[in-house]
Amino acid sequence: MSLLTVNRLSIAGPRQPIVHELSFDIRAGEWFAVVGQSGSGKSVAASAIGQLLPSNLKATGEIRYDGRNLLALSPADMRRIRGRQIAYIFQDYQGAFTPFHTIGRHFDDVQRLHLSLSKDERRQQAESSLVFVGLSEEVYDRYPSQLSGGQLQRAAIAIALLPKPDLLIADEPTTALDSVSSFRVLELLSRLQKESGCAILFITHDWRHVRKYADRIAVMKDGRIVEAGDAQEVLHRPRHPYTELLIQSSPSLSRFNRLSSSEVTS
Amino acid sequence: MELALAGNTSTLRKRLRTAALLFMLAWPAAAAVYAFLVLNYDPSLVSLADRLLPPSFAHPLGTDHLGRDVLTRLLLGARQTVGYGLLALIAAVAIGVPLGIWAGFKGGLADRILMRIADAFLSFPDTIVAIVLTGLLGAGLENLLLAILVVKWVSYARLARSTVLTERGKDYVLMARINGLRPGRIMSKHLFPHLIGHVLVLASLDVGKIILLISSLSYIGLGAQPPAPEWGAMLNEARPYFQAQPSLMVYPGLMIVFVVLLMGLLGDYWRDKFDVRKEVRP
Repeated sequence: MSLLTVNRLSIAGPRQPIVHELSFDIRAGEWFAVVGQSGSGKSVAASAIGQLLPSNLKATGEIRYDGRNLLALSPADMRRIRGRQIAYIFQDYQGAFTPFHTIGRHFDDVQRLHLSLSKDERRQQAESSLVFVGLSEEVYDRYPSQLSGGQLQRAAIAIALLPKPDLLIADEPTTALDSVSSFRVLELLSRLQKESGCAILFITHDWRHVRKYADRIAVMKDGRIVEAGDAQEVLHRPRHPYTELLIQSSPSLSRFNRLSSSEVTS
Repeated sequence: MELALAGNTSTLRKRLRTAALLFMLAWPAAAAVYAFLVLNYDPSLVSLADRLLPPSFAHPLGTDHLGRDVLTRLLLGARQTVGYGLLALIAAVAIGVPLGIWAGFKGGLADRILMRIADAFLSFPDTIVAIVLTGLLGAGLENLLLAILVVKWVSYARLARSTVLTERGKDYVLMARINGLRPGRIMSKHLFPHLIGHVLVLASLDVGKIILLISSLSYIGLGAQPPAPEWGAMLNEARPYFQAQPSLMVYPGLMIVFVVLLMGLLGDYWRDKFDVRKEVRP
């Protein structure tokens, strides 16, 4: 069952087009990875889903979600869906928090808008979701500058998943983290995906993240999807030369490692 | 060794500065208490029998050429000069900051139009605009305040806009949008607090300039009109008696110098306090 269907999505800037007739669909509860170099248009496509494009970019085509075209929704209707049914996390964990608000206030912003709870209930819910992502309850009263990158990213995930969204759009959430923290964040995301049944649109340029977690993969190059399909299929039998190039240029998936990894999985 | 020396001089300088600030704050406070307890003069009551009296217990700073008590007039002049200066400043901040935030946040045509207007205002020196406006609207403190407002809101709008422009692109603004916050709430809760420090610093440095502007325009007769006890106007009135009673000019002059200095120091202090870059993160 497909949750979100992108149909011939094109995005153009003032001078040149950025994304050309993108079509893919995300099934409920799956981990869908979009892989591509920086500048391939993957982040722009992700922001088009939530009507978050900068005003100088125009999107055409169709993004179907819940029987409606997200591109054609009014800002007020979009506000009801975005953050509640479609959540986002970003690469820049430091910038994702207002520096002079505590983590608790960030929770509050979401809770007050999408859920009707009393003040105590809000705090309780936020604290339990902080514990759920492996942080302590004290984080609720901390300021963003007092937390490490991995902690911030986990707090961001806790906030994003609070209203129980159907789809979490993760735009390179581990790129700015060290390898241990990013491993933890990935593990957390995969656990949450399995437990809550929330689909993840995972945008990355790093094959290592794709290999282990993704159910399906789309490879983007210059604003087009050059190859898409089942993760293992794409990884082991890439049809497009660009995919092959990407796989070979990834350190842990070089020809030598690919052999060993296929041995392990088969 | 060098480090230790630098540390010592900077602490010494800090202490000196604090002492100076305290002294300067204590001085007008003492004067205000004294005025409240002892002085009961009408600041504009003319009494020719008492003109140009030397300092005495009844008139601590003597009387002026019309027999009015100088200390009373100086203290009430604070209300005119400092009070109206602050009033103009607050009005300028109240107009400039929201406009600047709005322009920076919205961007596009509204931003461009507002900033071109701001450029037009900025291209004239403050004093010229103030003189022209008071000249057109008529001399008087109210028109002078209006002129100051017209001149000053621009710098606050620009300051607010530039800060918002650097913050607007950060992910937390996007995050606030994703979380469904309305633009008004994003501007007031997530962007405005960034500005408080900058605005306080600029404002405290501006108070001095505004006080100088009020006093200098009153001195040339475009601001406060006699018999209002405004410091600049008092300087002007004392001018013909400079040789007979030089203190008449010295006192209001000193008041202006003191207040402007005080505000400058306050501005420096706030700038140090709000300068986030200097702050060491725990």
